[in-house]
Parts: sequence; structure tokens; C-alpha cells
Amino acid sequence: MTHSLHREGSTDSLERDYALFIYPARGFNYKGCAPKVRRLVEIVYQVGPVNMIATTLRRNMYSGVRPEEVLDSIKEGIRVFSVFNRREKIKEVLKRFKAADEGISIVVSGLIDRVRDIALEIGLDPHTINISLGVHGGTDRLPPADIRQFTTMCGHGMVSPILVRDVIRRINSGKISPWEGSLILAKPCACGIYNPHRSAELLGSLAPLYTVERR
Amino acid sequence: MIIYKEVCVGCGRCQPYCPIGAISYEDMKSVVNQDFCYECGNCLRVGICPVEAIHESPQVYQYPRALRKYFSDPSATHAVTGIEGRGTEESKTNDVTERCGPGEVGVAIEVGRPTLGMGLEDIQRITRALARGGITEIEPQNPIHSMIADPATGDLKAEMLKEKVLSAIIELLIPRERLADVLRTVKTIAAEVESVFTLDVFTMLEPGLTIPREVLDIIAAEGFTWQPNAKINMGLGRATDQNHKINF
Repeated sequence: MTHSLHREGSTDSLERDYALFIYPARGFNYKGCAPKVRRLVEIVYQVGPVNMIATTLRRNMYSGVRPEEVLDSIKEGIRVFSVFNRREKIKEVLKRFKAADEGISIVVSGLIDRVRDIALEIGLDPHTINISLGVHGGTDRLPPADIRQFTTMCGHGMVSPILVRDVIRRINSGKISPWEGSLILAKPCACGIYNPHRSAELLGSLAPLYTVERR
Repeated sequence: MIIYKEVCVGCGRCQPYCPIGAISYEDMKSVVNQDFCYECGNCLRVGICPVEAIHESPQVYQYPRALRKYFSDPSATHAVTGIEGRGTEESKTNDVTERCGPGEVGVAIEVGRPTLGMGLEDIQRITRALARGGITEIEPQNPIHSMIADPATGDLKAEMLKEKVLSAIIELLIPRERLADVLRTVKTIAAEVESVFTLDVFTMLEPGLTIPREVLDIIAAEGFTWQPNAKINMGLGRATDQNHKINF
């Protein structure tokens, strides 16, 4: 999960991308955390994430896993990762988390200014920040930035740049839509924070001038 | 990972799913290059193979190749620390643990990310540089700590050096006044690292999600810039276990 702060893309695009983590602390509040996490996960479902995973299942929302399966899998020490594509939604979920007061650590990855505004609006006082100082070393070996804005959406790097290029090619040739392509890219993400809505927007923007002959 | 040739139908559907392109055609069948493969298991997990030709390689749990799986497969748990993934809980539970207190900073150097993966020699290049600079506070609960043969030199255990993994994190917890030394060392070694690495710093916040000026000034003075997005612990956690213990 260390990598959610290194998501790449334009500021405009990152405005619609907030990863949310529910994180019991090993040795500090593991005991009896399962019902608390369950109540928090129920709140997440009520507000409507665009992706989610429980570490007990490691199957994201686009794998066909049902909410009941996720809730039933919750046990001591579980961690739950999710992503929201609208500021209002991440604000709402944090507001409800504050009211629920379950005492479990909650982490948001997103634009610092936006998270600061939300925290002020709902009366939260964030505790710690992890800031990215960028990518270093042999950066000339990296795929281009327009590919990395997809690959960095998976916290574990499971979205292959080759798959991104393959999906873009299939969209440009009219075989699949940006949304269908986005779901293909979301599938390998085992951390549940690949944002398929943002991804579909990006895929659409990469193919605005392609035309295909449909028969 | 391994693809059984006698089962593979050569459809090639698995090939684009490999994060580092280790699967290619050979005699009209898909084959995994065993030297490149990081054992991340992505090709198997996505369930794309129509004939179930993809399996874990028989030697995947044998040391030192097992390091590939521990550091690359998101579902793998590190056998020594019991921690899933490659690092500790770092900033994510700091509101509960207060592991990184006022006057301290955490630094994470994640080698191989984004995208490229890396050979463990890259980790050694950095741990050696840190050791030369007198920086030896590598997080004990991070798997990298147990891979160092000699903390004084930063040398890794020799048998590990030929292994390749998707990424590994060097984590440090230091007093703020040492941050400049660490950043300077990292900047110096960057040109020698074959792969890439991401660099991040975590610190306790001041009221109103204010990043301590002292930390930002050090970062700027060492020629680094911070990104507009970050990972923020919202301060909603608290310790409830009786006799809770620090086990980072």
C-alpha cells in the first residue's frame, strides 16, 4: 500500500481519485476489531465506492465477489482498501466514520489540498502524512507517463504496461469500449484501489480521434 | 511461474498480464522466462488461461528464489515478520502506535517501483551508501533488515544478490535533524541504481493538516519537491488492546 501516494496523472484527473484504507493496528487494536471493521465496511458500501477489497478475500469489486461474501469474511486483523471517485463521497464516508467512532485507523490517499478542505469541513484533525518525493534512479527505462497513470493506480504494480497498451489498441480499433477496457485493467489489481471510473475517462481521452469501420 | 507446454494451446492471452513481460511465444506456445519471472503470480491469479496451463513453479518456495514471491506476490506473507507485503504499517496506524513521534520522520525508499522491478543488487547499492553515511536505522520489522549480512557495510547476504523482485522497501525511522543526511545520500546514489525507486517521507502533522515547516524546508534545501497527492492518516484510531505492545 505504500504506493498509493505515488499515483500519477494530472491534478484534474486526481481530483476524482481518493483511496481509503481501514487499518487495524497490529498489537494495539486487533482484538475485537472485526465487528468494528464490519460496521465501517457497511458504511463504505452505503456511500458507494468504485472499487474495494478485503485482505481476507483479495478479490476486488469487479471479480464478481458479493458484498455478503466480503462482510462474512471479516475477521480479526482484516484490512479493507477502497477507492472513491467523487469528493462528496469521500467526505460523506469520513463524516460517517467520525460519527461511528470505532477507533480504527483510517487513511486517505489523495490531493493534499482537497483532503485538508474535507477534514476542516467535517472537523477531523489528521495525524500523520506520508508525502511523495517522486521517482528517481533509471527513470529513462520507465514507460511513458500516459501509461504510468494507469499502472500506478494499482498499489502493487499488478497492472502491466503491456496490458495497458493492449487495451488502448483494442479501444482504438473499436473492439471494446473505454469502460470495458477499464474493467480489464481493474481485474489484476489485488489491492482494490484501481479506479475504473478514472481509468475509463483516461482511456477515452487517449482515443478521441480514432475512427473504425463497424460492419 | 511455469506454463506447461503440453497443456498450453498458444492463445497468448496470458502474455500482456505479466507486469514485466516475462511471458513470450516459443514454438507457438507461451513460455515464462524463469530468469525474468518475479513469481508475482499475476498470470495465474487473473484466471485468463482457458486450459489451466499456468502453475506455480516447483522451486518457488525454495530459498533464495522464494524471495521473489515474498516481495512480488501481493497475497504472500513474509515468513519471518508475519507481515503481508514488503513493509511495515508505517504511517498508516501512526495515530494509534505513535511509532513516529514529534521530532522524528520516517523515510521509505521503494526500489523497483513503479513498474520496472529490480535485482536485489540495487537494494545493496543503497544500503551500502546509507551505511557509508553512518545511516543504519533500517526498520527491524521490515524484511530487508534480516537480509543484511553486515550492518556496518550494508552488504546483503551474498546468495540473495542474483534474485529479482517486483519491489522492496528500505524503511528508516530517524530524528528530523538526520533527514538532510539521508536525502543527500539517496540523491548521490540515485545515478548508480539500475532500476528506479520512489522516495517518501512521513511525519506527524500540525493542526489543520499542516506539514511541519522544518520538514518541508529540509526537503526543499536538498533539492527535492513533493507531489500534490499524499497518504494521510486521518487521526481516527486509538489503542484498545490491554498491554498493547510495540512490535514494529
